[in-house]
Amino acid sequence: MAAPSMKERQACWGARDEYWKCLDENTEDASQCKKLRSSFESSCPQQWIKYFDKRRDYLKFKEKFEAGQFQPSKTTAKS
Amino acid sequence: MLLLIWAPKAWHRLSPLKPPALLWTPGGEAVHVRYRLLSRQGPGERGRQTQPQGPGFRTRLLITGLFGAGLGGAWLAARAEKERRRQQQRTEALRQAAVGQGDFSLLDHRGQARCKADFRGQWVLMYFGFTHCPDICPDELEKLVQVVQELEAEPGLPPVQPVFITVDPERDTVAAMARYVQDFHPRLLGLTGSAEQVAQVSRSYRVYYSAGPKDEDQDYVVDHSIAIYLLSPDGLFTDYYSRARSAQQIADSVRRHMAAFRSVLH
Repeated sequence: MAAPSMKERQACWGARDEYWKCLDENTEDASQCKKLRSSFESSCPQQWIKYFDKRRDYLKFKEKFEAGQFQPSKTTAKS
Repeated sequence: MLLLIWAPKAWHRLSPLKPPALLWTPGGEAVHVRYRLLSRQGPGERGRQTQPQGPGFRTRLLITGLFGAGLGGAWLAARAEKERRRQQQRTEALRQAAVGQGDFSLLDHRGQARCKADFRGQWVLMYFGFTHCPDICPDELEKLVQVVQELEAEPGLPPVQPVFITVDPERDTVAAMARYVQDFHPRLLGLTGSAEQVAQVSRSYRVYYSAGPKDEDQDYVVDHSIAIYLLSPDGLFTDYYSRARSAQQIADSVRRHMAAFRSVLH
């Protein structure tokens, strides 16, 4: 399977960005973005979809972390 | 030995004063101290000074000064010699490193065999990645190409050779590399080879890489360290730039290295 060309890469990134924008607008509710999800899945190799999904999770986690939503547990604070 | 020049007369004159340690520092300070002493001598003393009792004060001053200057000069010469020898040893070590370390034997995207010596005389910006890379490699290569283009636009700067080396030799054949590099820059050179050759070059440049698990399509991503390496025209690793550095910052850094560069080969 040949690697995606520059055009194919850009098509994939575009579809990903659309899908992610939809998720942002719907507070991560994937059911609202089914059409964009299938467009995303058809534009990108499967490995990339897995990779971008993981990346999305990481970026969201990072946002929460930086907003201070994760506090050290009481036990560690005491030690 | 200087005391022979100065004693006993000087001691006689100096006895009411606290003799400053005939502090031994090259030339300058000793002279300064002696001038202070000279000024302490009152008018009454002048009469005695003109008596011919061996070398006059000024003569002694001159001799001491010359001696001091001589010692100082010898010390500076010895220091320069030590520095020169140290520099020579370092040059020799660097010369050895330029030839031995970081050598590679790979195929470029036109199928031609290449080794590190081929790039001698050129500045090289090198990136390790793979063609099936989702986003990082294209981003980093775009950045690298931007740097090359910015430097190309400046007259008087030597051209920089952009190089892309694969960490996925299994899939990145010569043809795959040719297809990939054409999208970035006409001078971007893709390098690939056998698994052993890629392992060797990655070791030389301390690049970590690890192919992930294959899915149903036999597709996989390769986890790898992300850095753009700068090699000098001597083939020496000169600097590296992480993902956090912008094209502008990298271009500025390369410019600085170019300005400071002195070849150790020839």
